[in-house]
Amino acid sequence: MARTALITGASSGLGAEYARQLAARGTDLVLVSPEEEALAELAAGLVDRLGVQVEVLVADLLVQGQLDRVVHRLAEPDRPVDMLLNCAGFGLHLNFERNEIDDEVRQLRLLVEVPMRLTHAALAPMLSRGSGRIVNVASVAGFVPFSTYGACKSWLISFSGWANGRYAARGVTVTAVCPGFTHTRFHERMGLAVRDMGLPSWMWLDARAVVAGSLRDIARGRARSVPTLRYKIAVVLSRVLPTGLVGSITGGAR
Amino acid sequence: MARTALITGASSGLGAEYARQLAARGTDLVLVARDRDALGDLADALTAQHGIGVDVLVADLVDAQQRALVAERLADLLHPIDMLVNSAGFGLPLAFERNDIDDEVRHLDLLVEVPMRLMHAALGPMLQRGSGRIVNIASVGGFIPRSTYGACKGWLISFSRWANGRYARRGVTVTAVCPGFTHTNFHERIGIPPGEEGIADWMWLEARDVVAESLRDVARGKAVSVPSLRYKAIIGLTRLVPASLVARAGERGR
Repeated sequence: MARTALITGASSGLGAEYARQLAARGTDLVLVSPEEEALAELAAGLVDRLGVQVEVLVADLLVQGQLDRVVHRLAEPDRPVDMLLNCAGFGLHLNFERNEIDDEVRQLRLLVEVPMRLTHAALAPMLSRGSGRIVNVASVAGFVPFSTYGACKSWLISFSGWANGRYAARGVTVTAVCPGFTHTRFHERMGLAVRDMGLPSWMWLDARAVVAGSLRDIARGRARSVPTLRYKIAVVLSRVLPTGLVGSITGGAR
Repeated sequence: MARTALITGASSGLGAEYARQLAARGTDLVLVARDRDALGDLADALTAQHGIGVDVLVADLVDAQQRALVAERLADLLHPIDMLVNSAGFGLPLAFERNDIDDEVRHLDLLVEVPMRLMHAALGPMLQRGSGRIVNIASVGGFIPRSTYGACKGWLISFSRWANGRYARRGVTVTAVCPGFTHTNFHERIGIPPGEEGIADWMWLEARDVVAESLRDVARGKAVSVPSLRYKAIIGLTRLVPASLVARAGERGR
Protein backbone atom coordinates (compact mmCIF):
# COMPACT_ATOMS: atom_id res chain seq x y z
CA MET A 1 0.00 0.00 0.00
CA ALA A 2 2.39 2.71 1.18
CA ARG A 3 6.17 2.52 1.52
CA THR A 4 6.37 4.95 4.43
CA ALA A 5 3.54 6.01 6.74
CA LEU A 6 3.65 8.73 9.39
CA ILE A 7 1.27 8.06 12.28
CA THR A 8 0.39 10.56 15.03
CA GLY A 9 -0.92 9.32 18.35
CA ALA A 10 1.03 6.15 17.57
CA SER A 11 1.83 5.08 21.13
CA SER A 12 -1.60 3.65 21.91
CA GLY A 13 -5.12 2.93 20.72
CA LEU A 14 -5.93 3.04 17.02
CA GLY A 15 -2.60 4.72 16.20
CA ALA A 16 -0.61 1.79 17.61
CA GLU A 17 -2.92 -0.67 15.83
CA TYR A 18 -2.37 1.10 12.48
CA ALA A 19 1.38 0.84 13.17
CA ARG A 20 1.13 -2.93 13.77
CA GLN A 21 -1.04 -3.66 10.73
CA LEU A 22 0.92 -1.45 8.33
CA ALA A 23 4.22 -2.92 9.55
CA ALA A 24 2.81 -6.38 8.94
CA ARG A 25 2.32 -5.33 5.30
CA GLY A 26 5.94 -4.19 5.06
CA THR A 27 5.34 -0.43 5.37
CA ASP A 28 8.13 1.60 6.97
CA LEU A 29 6.92 3.87 9.74
CA VAL A 30 7.43 7.26 11.34
CA LEU A 31 5.78 7.06 14.77
CA VAL A 32 4.78 10.33 16.47
CA SER A 33 3.68 10.73 20.09
CA PRO A 34 4.81 12.55 23.25
CA GLU A 35 5.18 9.21 25.06
CA GLU A 36 8.81 8.33 24.41
CA GLU A 37 8.97 5.00 26.23
CA ALA A 38 5.81 3.56 24.73
CA LEU A 39 6.96 4.61 21.24
CA ALA A 40 10.42 3.08 21.67
CA GLU A 41 8.92 -0.18 22.91
CA LEU A 42 6.45 -0.37 20.02
CA ALA A 43 9.16 0.50 17.49
CA ALA A 44 11.58 -2.14 18.82
CA GLY A 45 8.88 -4.82 18.69
CA LEU A 46 7.95 -4.00 15.10
CA VAL A 47 11.57 -3.87 13.89
CA ASP A 48 12.33 -7.22 15.55
CA ARG A 49 9.28 -9.08 14.41
CA LEU A 50 8.60 -7.60 10.99
CA GLY A 51 11.92 -6.19 9.81
CA VAL A 52 10.50 -2.81 8.80
CA GLN A 53 12.29 0.52 9.38
CA VAL A 54 10.80 2.59 12.14
CA GLU A 55 11.64 6.21 13.00
CA VAL A 56 10.53 7.55 16.32
CA LEU A 57 9.58 11.23 16.49
CA VAL A 58 8.83 12.23 20.08
CA ALA A 59 6.62 15.31 19.87
CA ASP A 60 3.78 16.95 21.74
CA LEU A 61 1.68 18.24 18.83
CA LEU A 62 0.25 21.03 21.00
CA VAL A 63 3.71 22.59 21.36
CA GLN A 64 4.45 24.70 18.30
CA GLY A 65 8.17 23.90 18.07
CA GLN A 66 7.53 20.17 18.32
CA LEU A 67 4.66 20.27 15.83
CA ASP A 68 7.00 22.10 13.42
CA ARG A 69 9.38 19.10 13.50
CA VAL A 70 6.58 16.85 12.28
CA VAL A 71 5.62 19.38 9.59
CA HIS A 72 9.24 19.45 8.39
CA ARG A 73 9.47 15.66 8.38
CA LEU A 74 6.41 15.48 6.09
CA ALA A 75 8.00 17.94 3.67
CA GLU A 76 11.44 16.25 3.41
CA PRO A 77 11.98 15.56 -0.30
CA ASP A 78 14.61 12.83 0.18
CA ARG A 79 12.53 10.73 2.55
CA PRO A 80 8.98 10.87 1.18
CA VAL A 81 6.01 10.00 3.36
CA ASP A 82 3.36 8.25 1.24
CA MET A 83 0.72 7.99 3.92
CA LEU A 84 -0.24 10.34 6.75
CA LEU A 85 -2.48 9.05 9.53
CA ASN A 86 -3.88 11.68 11.90
CA CYS A 87 -4.83 9.58 14.95
CA ALA A 88 -3.78 11.77 17.89
CA GLY A 89 -6.72 12.85 20.00
CA PHE A 90 -8.46 12.94 23.33
CA GLY A 91 -11.98 13.61 24.56
CA LEU A 92 -13.43 15.92 27.19
CA HIS A 93 -16.45 15.50 29.39
CA LEU A 94 -19.71 16.42 27.71
CA ASN A 95 -20.61 19.27 30.07
CA PHE A 96 -19.16 22.03 27.92
CA GLU A 97 -20.33 24.78 30.25
CA ARG A 98 -18.29 23.38 33.17
CA ASN A 99 -15.16 22.40 31.20
CA GLU A 100 -12.16 24.73 31.35
CA ILE A 101 -12.19 26.77 28.15
CA ASP A 102 -8.42 26.23 27.82
CA ASP A 103 -9.01 22.46 27.75
CA GLU A 104 -11.66 22.97 25.06
CA VAL A 105 -9.21 25.03 22.99
CA ARG A 106 -6.53 22.32 23.40
CA GLN A 107 -9.04 19.73 22.19
CA LEU A 108 -9.94 21.89 19.17
CA ARG A 109 -6.25 22.31 18.33
CA LEU A 110 -5.42 18.60 18.58
CA LEU A 111 -8.55 17.36 16.80
CA VAL A 112 -8.76 20.03 14.07
CA GLU A 113 -5.85 22.47 13.79
CA VAL A 114 -3.11 19.82 14.00
CA PRO A 115 -4.60 17.51 11.32
CA MET A 116 -5.25 20.58 9.14
CA ARG A 117 -1.62 21.72 9.47
CA LEU A 118 -0.22 18.22 8.85
CA THR A 119 -2.55 17.64 5.88
CA HIS A 120 -1.41 20.96 4.41
CA ALA A 121 2.26 20.02 4.92
CA ALA A 122 1.81 16.54 3.41
CA LEU A 123 -0.31 17.62 0.44
CA ALA A 124 2.28 19.59 -1.52
CA PRO A 125 4.89 16.80 -1.84
CA MET A 126 2.16 14.19 -2.38
CA LEU A 127 0.56 16.25 -5.16
CA SER A 128 3.90 16.87 -6.81
CA ARG A 129 4.61 13.09 -6.76
CA GLY A 130 1.04 12.43 -7.91
CA SER A 131 0.32 9.94 -5.15
CA GLY A 132 -0.45 9.81 -1.45
CA ARG A 133 -2.94 8.71 1.20
CA ILE A 134 -4.19 10.93 3.99
CA VAL A 135 -6.21 9.32 6.75
CA ASN A 136 -8.08 11.33 9.37
CA VAL A 137 -9.38 9.35 12.30
CA ALA A 138 -12.78 10.89 12.99
CA SER A 139 -15.66 9.14 14.78
CA VAL A 140 -19.29 8.21 14.30
CA ALA A 141 -19.76 11.04 16.83
CA GLY A 142 -19.11 13.32 13.83
CA PHE A 143 -22.49 12.33 12.36
CA VAL A 144 -24.55 13.05 15.48
CA PRO A 145 -24.58 16.06 17.81
CA PHE A 146 -22.02 15.23 20.52
CA SER A 147 -20.66 18.40 22.15
CA THR A 148 -17.41 19.90 20.84
CA TYR A 149 -15.93 16.42 20.28
CA GLY A 150 -18.62 15.53 17.73
CA ALA A 151 -18.31 18.99 16.14
CA CYS A 152 -14.55 18.55 15.68
CA LYS A 153 -15.02 15.10 14.18
CA SER A 154 -17.67 16.49 11.82
CA TRP A 155 -15.07 19.08 10.72
CA LEU A 156 -12.74 16.21 9.74
CA ILE A 157 -15.50 14.29 7.92
CA SER A 158 -16.62 17.38 5.99
CA PHE A 159 -13.09 18.43 5.05
CA SER A 160 -12.01 14.89 4.10
CA GLY A 161 -15.08 14.55 1.87
CA TRP A 162 -14.24 17.76 0.06
CA ALA A 163 -10.49 17.13 -0.14
CA ASN A 164 -10.94 13.60 -1.49
CA GLY A 165 -13.18 14.96 -4.26
CA ARG A 166 -10.65 17.64 -5.08
CA TYR A 167 -7.35 15.75 -4.89
CA ALA A 168 -8.20 12.15 -5.86
CA ALA A 169 -7.95 13.04 -9.56
CA ARG A 170 -4.36 14.15 -8.83
CA GLY A 171 -3.50 10.89 -7.08
CA VAL A 172 -4.00 11.89 -3.44
CA THR A 173 -6.91 10.40 -1.52
CA VAL A 174 -8.25 11.66 1.80
CA THR A 175 -10.29 9.32 4.01
CA ALA A 176 -12.13 10.07 7.25
CA VAL A 177 -12.29 6.92 9.36
CA CYS A 178 -15.36 6.96 11.64
CA PRO A 179 -15.20 4.24 14.28
CA GLY A 180 -17.91 3.65 16.84
CA PHE A 181 -17.08 2.89 20.46
CA THR A 182 -13.78 1.01 20.28
CA HIS A 183 -11.88 -0.82 23.00
CA THR A 184 -8.80 1.39 23.52
CA ARG A 185 -7.58 3.47 26.45
CA PHE A 186 -9.59 6.47 25.13
CA HIS A 187 -12.47 6.30 27.60
CA GLU A 188 -10.22 5.29 30.48
CA ARG A 189 -8.10 8.41 29.89
CA MET A 190 -11.29 10.50 30.12
CA GLY A 191 -11.84 8.97 33.55
CA LEU A 192 -14.72 6.78 32.36
CA ALA A 193 -14.94 3.16 33.39
CA VAL A 194 -16.06 1.18 30.34
CA ARG A 195 -18.35 -0.92 32.50
CA ASP A 196 -20.15 2.22 33.76
CA MET A 197 -20.88 3.64 30.32
CA GLY A 198 -24.09 1.68 30.05
CA LEU A 199 -23.57 0.62 26.44
CA PRO A 200 -24.76 -2.74 25.12
CA SER A 201 -21.83 -5.00 24.25
CA TRP A 202 -22.69 -5.06 20.53
CA MET A 203 -21.79 -1.36 20.35
CA TRP A 204 -18.17 -2.06 21.30
CA LEU A 205 -15.68 -2.64 18.51
CA ASP A 206 -12.28 -4.22 18.50
CA ALA A 207 -9.41 -1.93 17.38
CA ARG A 208 -8.06 -4.69 15.13
CA ALA A 209 -11.31 -4.95 13.17
CA VAL A 210 -11.66 -1.15 12.89
CA VAL A 211 -8.16 -0.74 11.46
CA ALA A 212 -8.40 -3.72 9.09
CA GLY A 213 -11.79 -2.55 7.78
CA SER A 214 -10.64 1.03 7.33
CA LEU A 215 -7.42 0.05 5.51
CA ARG A 216 -9.56 -1.63 2.84
CA ASP A 217 -11.59 1.58 2.38
CA ILE A 218 -8.41 3.68 2.33
CA ALA A 219 -6.93 1.46 -0.39
CA ARG A 220 -10.11 2.03 -2.41
CA GLY A 221 -9.76 5.81 -1.99
CA ARG A 222 -13.07 6.23 -0.17
CA ALA A 223 -13.83 9.67 1.34
CA ARG A 224 -15.18 8.05 4.46
CA SER A 225 -14.94 4.70 6.15
CA VAL A 226 -17.41 3.53 8.78
CA PRO A 227 -16.04 0.18 9.97
CA THR A 228 -18.55 -2.61 10.71
CA LEU A 229 -22.01 -3.12 9.33
CA ARG A 230 -23.80 -2.20 12.57
CA TYR A 231 -22.31 1.29 12.59
CA LYS A 232 -22.88 1.74 8.84
CA ILE A 233 -26.56 1.15 9.58
CA ALA A 234 -26.48 3.48 12.61
CA VAL A 235 -25.00 6.30 10.50
CA VAL A 236 -27.62 5.89 7.77
CA LEU A 237 -30.36 5.98 10.43
CA SER A 238 -28.89 9.17 11.94
CA ARG A 239 -29.42 10.92 8.60
CA VAL A 240 -33.02 9.80 8.32
CA LEU A 241 -34.28 10.04 11.89
CA PRO A 242 -35.38 13.41 13.34
CA THR A 243 -32.52 15.35 14.95
CA GLY A 244 -34.28 15.46 18.32
CA LEU A 245 -34.48 11.68 18.52
CA VAL A 246 -30.82 11.24 17.54
CA GLY A 247 -29.90 13.83 20.17
CA SER A 248 -31.79 12.08 22.91
CA ILE A 249 -30.04 8.79 22.04
CA THR A 250 -26.55 10.32 22.01
CA GLY A 251 -27.25 12.55 25.01
CA GLY A 252 -27.49 9.46 27.21
CA ALA A 253 -24.11 7.98 26.32
CA ARG A 254 -20.74 9.61 26.80
CA MET B 1 -37.07 39.43 22.27
CA ALA B 2 -33.81 40.35 24.02
CA ARG B 3 -33.04 43.46 26.06
CA THR B 4 -29.35 43.55 25.19
CA ALA B 5 -27.64 41.74 22.32
CA LEU B 6 -23.91 41.49 21.66
CA ILE B 7 -23.07 41.12 17.96
CA THR B 8 -19.62 40.27 16.54
CA GLY B 9 -18.74 41.25 12.99
CA ALA B 10 -21.27 44.05 13.45
CA SER B 11 -19.71 46.60 11.10
CA SER B 12 -20.95 45.02 7.87
CA GLY B 13 -22.89 42.23 6.21
CA LEU B 14 -25.24 40.08 8.26
CA GLY B 15 -23.86 41.43 11.55
CA ALA B 16 -24.87 44.99 10.67
CA GLU B 17 -28.26 43.78 9.49
CA TYR B 18 -28.86 41.97 12.81
CA ALA B 19 -27.95 45.24 14.54
CA ARG B 20 -30.52 47.19 12.46
CA GLN B 21 -33.36 44.71 12.91
CA LEU B 22 -32.77 44.16 16.61
CA ALA B 23 -32.52 47.94 17.17
CA ALA B 24 -35.83 48.38 15.38
CA ARG B 25 -37.36 46.01 17.97
CA GLY B 26 -35.95 48.11 20.81
CA THR B 27 -33.02 45.86 21.76
CA ASP B 28 -29.96 47.60 23.23
CA LEU B 29 -26.75 46.62 21.49
CA VAL B 30 -23.08 45.94 22.07
CA LEU B 31 -21.43 46.09 18.67
CA VAL B 32 -18.08 44.34 18.18
CA ALA B 33 -15.78 44.70 15.15
CA ARG B 34 -12.31 45.95 14.19
CA ASP B 35 -13.50 48.92 12.14
CA ARG B 36 -14.00 51.77 14.65
CA ASP B 37 -15.36 54.26 12.09
CA ALA B 38 -17.92 51.89 10.59
CA LEU B 39 -19.07 50.83 14.07
CA GLY B 40 -19.33 54.45 15.22
CA ASP B 41 -21.41 55.44 12.19
CA LEU B 42 -23.76 52.49 12.64
CA ALA B 43 -24.10 53.14 16.38
CA ASP B 44 -24.91 56.84 15.82
CA ALA B 45 -27.52 56.05 13.19
CA LEU B 46 -29.23 53.39 15.31
CA THR B 47 -29.25 55.56 18.44
CA ALA B 48 -30.74 58.49 16.52
CA GLN B 49 -33.33 56.38 14.72
CA HIS B 50 -34.48 54.01 17.46
CA GLY B 51 -33.45 55.66 20.72
CA ILE B 52 -31.74 52.52 22.01
CA GLY B 53 -28.48 52.22 23.97
CA VAL B 54 -25.50 51.18 21.83
CA ASP B 55 -22.03 50.32 23.16
CA VAL B 56 -19.17 50.03 20.73
CA LEU B 57 -16.42 47.52 21.47
CA VAL B 58 -13.55 47.79 18.98
CA ALA B 59 -11.74 44.46 18.98
CA ASP B 60 -9.86 42.13 16.67
CA LEU B 61 -11.23 38.77 17.78
CA VAL B 62 -8.21 36.74 16.67
CA ASP B 63 -6.09 38.82 19.10
CA ALA B 64 -6.19 37.03 22.48
CA GLN B 65 -6.20 40.20 24.61
CA GLN B 66 -8.86 42.02 22.61
CA ARG B 67 -10.97 38.86 22.51
CA ALA B 68 -10.68 38.60 26.31
CA LEU B 69 -12.35 42.04 26.61
CA VAL B 70 -15.37 40.72 24.72
CA ALA B 71 -15.52 37.58 26.87
CA GLU B 72 -15.38 39.79 29.99
CA ARG B 73 -18.22 41.93 28.68
CA LEU B 74 -20.33 38.78 28.20
CA ALA B 75 -19.59 37.66 31.75
CA ASP B 76 -20.41 41.08 33.31
CA LEU B 77 -23.24 40.22 35.71
CA LEU B 78 -24.21 43.87 36.25
CA HIS B 79 -24.86 44.45 32.55
CA PRO B 80 -26.36 41.18 31.36
CA ILE B 81 -26.27 40.15 27.70
CA ASP B 82 -29.43 38.26 26.75
CA MET B 83 -28.41 37.45 23.22
CA LEU B 84 -25.05 36.65 21.65
CA VAL B 85 -24.80 36.78 17.85
CA ASN B 86 -21.56 35.25 16.50
CA SER B 87 -21.40 36.68 13.00
CA ALA B 88 -17.74 37.65 12.53
CA GLY B 89 -16.16 35.70 9.69
CA PHE B 90 -14.33 35.70 6.40
CA GLY B 91 -13.65 33.25 3.60
CA LEU B 92 -10.50 31.99 1.88
CA PRO B 93 -9.96 30.82 -1.69
CA LEU B 94 -11.01 27.17 -2.20
CA ALA B 95 -7.50 25.96 -3.14
CA PHE B 96 -6.53 24.76 0.35
CA GLU B 97 -3.18 23.40 -0.85
CA ARG B 98 -2.12 26.84 -2.11
CA ASN B 99 -3.45 28.90 0.81
CA ASP B 100 -0.99 30.08 3.43
CA ILE B 101 -1.40 27.78 6.44
CA ASP B 102 -1.30 30.76 8.82
CA ASP B 103 -4.33 32.21 7.00
CA GLU B 104 -6.09 28.86 7.39
CA VAL B 105 -5.35 28.84 11.13
CA ARG B 106 -6.68 32.42 11.50
CA HIS B 107 -9.78 31.33 9.58
CA LEU B 108 -10.27 28.38 11.97
CA ASP B 109 -9.72 30.67 14.97
CA LEU B 110 -12.31 33.22 13.85
CA LEU B 111 -14.91 30.73 12.60
CA VAL B 112 -14.65 28.14 15.38
CA GLU B 113 -12.42 29.03 18.33
CA VAL B 114 -13.84 32.53 18.80
CA PRO B 115 -17.54 31.51 18.80
CA MET B 116 -16.67 28.58 21.10
CA ARG B 117 -14.91 30.91 23.57
CA LEU B 118 -17.67 33.52 23.46
CA MET B 119 -20.40 30.90 23.91
CA HIS B 120 -18.53 29.51 26.89
CA ALA B 121 -18.27 33.01 28.41
CA ALA B 122 -21.95 33.78 27.75
CA LEU B 123 -23.35 30.42 28.87
CA GLY B 124 -22.41 30.72 32.54
CA PRO B 125 -24.45 33.87 33.28
CA MET B 126 -27.27 32.89 30.88
CA LEU B 127 -27.74 29.50 32.58
CA GLN B 128 -27.63 31.24 35.96
CA ARG B 129 -30.44 33.60 34.89
CA GLY B 130 -32.26 30.72 33.22
CA SER B 131 -32.60 32.56 29.91
CA GLY B 132 -30.57 33.51 26.88
CA ARG B 133 -30.26 33.23 23.11
CA ILE B 134 -27.10 32.25 21.30
CA VAL B 135 -27.01 32.67 17.53
CA ASN B 136 -24.17 31.23 15.44
CA ILE B 137 -23.97 32.35 11.84
CA ALA B 138 -23.06 29.19 9.96
CA SER B 139 -23.79 28.62 6.26
CA VAL B 140 -25.44 26.11 3.95
CA GLY B 141 -21.76 25.39 3.20
CA GLY B 142 -21.84 23.49 6.49
CA PHE B 143 -24.10 20.86 4.90
CA ILE B 144 -22.10 20.59 1.69
CA PRO B 145 -18.36 19.79 1.86
CA ARG B 146 -16.60 22.98 0.79
CA SER B 147 -12.96 23.14 1.89
CA THR B 148 -12.18 24.33 5.41
CA TYR B 149 -14.97 26.93 5.29
CA GLY B 150 -17.68 24.27 4.99
CA ALA B 151 -15.95 22.19 7.67
CA CYS B 152 -15.89 25.12 10.13
CA LYS B 153 -19.54 25.91 9.46
CA GLY B 154 -20.31 22.21 9.94
CA TRP B 155 -18.63 22.46 13.36
CA LEU B 156 -21.00 25.29 14.30
CA ILE B 157 -24.09 23.41 13.09
CA SER B 158 -23.11 20.20 14.90
CA PHE B 159 -22.31 22.02 18.13
CA SER B 160 -25.42 24.23 18.02
CA ARG B 161 -27.62 21.16 17.61
CA TRP B 162 -26.07 19.49 20.60
CA ALA B 163 -26.01 22.63 22.76
CA ASN B 164 -29.63 23.52 21.96
CA GLY B 165 -30.70 20.02 22.98
CA ARG B 166 -28.69 20.26 26.18
CA TYR B 167 -29.43 23.81 27.34
CA ALA B 168 -32.91 24.62 25.99
CA ARG B 169 -34.66 23.12 29.00
CA ARG B 170 -32.52 25.37 31.22
CA GLY B 171 -33.76 28.41 29.27
CA VAL B 172 -30.85 28.95 26.88
CA THR B 173 -31.35 28.24 23.18
CA VAL B 174 -28.59 27.88 20.60
CA THR B 175 -29.39 28.37 16.91
CA ALA B 176 -27.13 27.86 13.89
CA VAL B 177 -28.26 30.18 11.08
CA CYS B 178 -27.36 28.71 7.67
CA PRO B 179 -27.75 31.26 4.88
CA GLY B 180 -27.08 30.48 1.24
CA PHE B 181 -25.30 33.00 -0.99
CA THR B 182 -26.28 36.39 0.43
CA HIS B 183 -25.71 39.87 -0.96
CA THR B 184 -23.13 41.36 1.44
CA ASN B 185 -19.52 42.43 0.87
CA PHE B 186 -18.34 38.86 1.77
CA HIS B 187 -17.27 37.90 -1.76
CA GLU B 188 -15.82 41.32 -2.53
CA ARG B 189 -13.52 40.96 0.47
CA ILE B 190 -12.14 37.69 -0.99
CA GLY B 191 -11.41 39.66 -4.15
CA ILE B 192 -14.35 38.48 -6.25
CA PRO B 193 -16.20 41.40 -7.89
CA PRO B 194 -20.02 41.53 -7.67
CA GLY B 195 -21.61 39.63 -10.56
CA GLU B 196 -18.55 37.39 -11.09
CA GLU B 197 -19.17 34.89 -8.30
CA GLY B 198 -20.37 32.18 -10.71
CA ILE B 199 -23.69 31.85 -8.90
CA ALA B 200 -27.11 31.76 -10.59
CA ASP B 201 -29.37 34.74 -9.85
CA TRP B 202 -32.05 32.66 -8.11
CA MET B 203 -29.49 31.44 -5.57
CA TRP B 204 -28.88 34.92 -4.16
CA LEU B 205 -30.58 35.99 -0.94
CA GLU B 206 -31.04 39.44 0.56
CA ALA B 207 -29.47 40.04 3.99
CA ARG B 208 -32.72 41.61 5.20
CA ASP B 209 -34.76 38.45 4.48
CA VAL B 210 -32.11 36.14 5.92
CA VAL B 211 -31.99 38.06 9.20
CA ALA B 212 -35.77 38.52 9.52
CA GLU B 213 -36.47 34.83 8.90
CA SER B 214 -33.66 33.65 11.16
CA LEU B 215 -34.88 35.87 14.02
CA ARG B 216 -38.23 34.10 13.84
CA ASP B 217 -36.45 30.73 14.15
CA VAL B 218 -34.28 32.08 16.98
CA ALA B 219 -37.41 33.21 18.86
CA ARG B 220 -38.84 29.69 18.44
CA GLY B 221 -35.64 28.18 19.86
CA LYS B 222 -34.83 26.17 16.74
CA ALA B 223 -31.40 24.49 16.61
CA VAL B 224 -30.95 25.11 12.89
CA SER B 225 -32.38 27.92 10.76
CA VAL B 226 -32.13 27.70 6.97
CA PRO B 227 -33.68 30.91 5.61
CA SER B 228 -35.73 30.72 2.37
CA LEU B 229 -37.68 27.84 0.93
CA ARG B 230 -35.19 27.24 -1.94
CA TYR B 231 -32.33 26.56 0.42
CA LYS B 232 -34.51 24.44 2.72
CA ALA B 233 -35.23 22.29 -0.34
CA ILE B 234 -31.53 22.09 -1.29
CA ILE B 235 -30.54 21.02 2.24
CA GLY B 236 -33.33 18.45 2.29
CA LEU B 237 -31.89 16.98 -0.90
CA THR B 238 -28.32 16.79 0.46
CA ARG B 239 -29.57 14.34 3.09
CA LEU B 240 -30.97 12.03 0.42
CA VAL B 241 -28.37 12.00 -2.36
CA PRO B 242 -24.96 10.25 -2.09
CA ALA B 243 -22.20 12.16 -0.27
CA SER B 244 -19.90 12.10 -3.34
CA LEU B 245 -22.50 13.95 -5.42
CA VAL B 246 -22.93 16.55 -2.68
CA ALA B 247 -19.15 17.00 -2.57
CA ARG B 248 -19.12 17.78 -6.27
CA ALA B 249 -21.82 20.42 -5.78
CA GLY B 250 -19.57 22.07 -3.18
CA GLU B 251 -17.03 22.81 -5.93
CA ARG B 252 -19.47 25.20 -7.63
CA GLY B 253 -19.30 28.94 -7.26
CA ARG B 254 -16.62 30.80 -5.34
